[in-house]
Amino acid sequence: MIDNFHISFRGISKSFGKNLVLDNAAFNITNHDCIVITGENGAGKTTLLRILAGLEKPDHCQITVDNTTAEPWRRLRKRLLKSIMYLHQQPYMLAGTLRRNLEYAAKLNPAIVDRESSVNKAIHWAGLQALETHSSASLSGGQKQRVALARARLRDPQILLLDEPTSNLDTESREKTLHMLREFRDCGMAIVIATHDPEIFGSLPNGNLHLDDHRIIYDDSRIVDLDSVRKTQHK
Amino acid sequence: MDVLVTSTLEAFRLLFTGNVEIWEIIGISFRVSTLAIFSAVPLALVISFFLAYGNFFGRRFLISLFNTFLSVPAVVIGLTLFILLSRQGPMGDFKLLFTQPAMIAGQFLLCLPILVSMAHAAFQSADRRAWETARTLGAKPVYAFITVPSETRSGLMAAMLAGYGRIISEVGASMMLGGNIAHYTRNIPTAIALETSKGNFAEGIALGAVLLFLAFLLNSLLQYVQGKGSINP
Repeated sequence: MIDNFHISFRGISKSFGKNLVLDNAAFNITNHDCIVITGENGAGKTTLLRILAGLEKPDHCQITVDNTTAEPWRRLRKRLLKSIMYLHQQPYMLAGTLRRNLEYAAKLNPAIVDRESSVNKAIHWAGLQALETHSSASLSGGQKQRVALARARLRDPQILLLDEPTSNLDTESREKTLHMLREFRDCGMAIVIATHDPEIFGSLPNGNLHLDDHRIIYDDSRIVDLDSVRKTQHK
Repeated sequence: MDVLVTSTLEAFRLLFTGNVEIWEIIGISFRVSTLAIFSAVPLALVISFFLAYGNFFGRRFLISLFNTFLSVPAVVIGLTLFILLSRQGPMGDFKLLFTQPAMIAGQFLLCLPILVSMAHAAFQSADRRAWETARTLGAKPVYAFITVPSETRSGLMAAMLAGYGRIISEVGASMMLGGNIAHYTRNIPTAIALETSKGNFAEGIALGAVLLFLAFLLNSLLQYVQGKGSINP
């Protein structure tokens, strides 16, 4: 079970050259949250996730974790990488077997004492027993997604960010992915999903953010950042 | 034609009867070049990694500079180091000229641009997600840095083999910095040059055959590392 936390992101701005991608975006997140981020192509969904994961340097961003503000970016990134995990749209598999991928993740989590047993549990949890000695390169898209989620289980982050996790998945793989995400949320992990198709996630999300005109338009009052909304309306 | 046949037969006799002098030259060649490549690889990996993934002022200039150094002749490297290491040079006090360390330094400088250039290409063609996956799984930058080369090992191995192939067969820098001293700095290429000038073709051919065999071995190894690469019909 993940300890209670409350993370607040403020003033997230990012431009690529003259192309403004995010303008003063802001939102809050706490345990058990599952937030779906929607928006048109190029609205900045992936950029937002990558900034939250500490993989992309924003032009400006302020993060407050349990009332403690972290800045500048160096400190901020360290904090983000410590507690947040990002899953690519097409998860990257390390060379070698499926098991090696999970062992790699287990090795990086100092909280795991019995590595072998944790890896075995993750393999069973993801239903990958039959594939554990298979080369990661030979796995299908759905299987790779499950490996990535099993790695996330071993990593055990506070927040899991997923970029279009169900794109290119068949119905069965999609259902398995949703089931695994539900388990994460029940354990207290917060989940943020960027997607074109929010209906797929059914009752899993409890919040919906829509990116439009480089800003976040809030749909759910519980996670509304009033300051930002007022500023947006003011403009 | 007779000379070629006789010399080749004599060359193989020298190789397979364990001619001490020939095998000593081969030993020096391998020792010097192996030490040079292994000392250049770590530095080249760090430089190429930052050139591929870093975002700093002068990055493009450095890439162009290393690519330019690819075409610097071995004798120019030899000449530069010769000036630095000669008695009147700024590093003359170290008394390194005409020693194996001087040859290693020359070969180090020769293979560094090849290693950097090819490793940079390998890192660039590698999936950036490898680095990001490692980082997002909680790897510290150093550990993630170790992870990426293991993901691009075939490209990096190709760089290493190309660099080794370049230095084990170069003659200019070794001749200038080593001085072709028998039993000490005489390696395969300098020995071939010397024996040919003396008309001892058999020794030259024997050593040339070793180089050719090495080139074949390195290429075979590269093929093995790079995998099948074929399309299943």
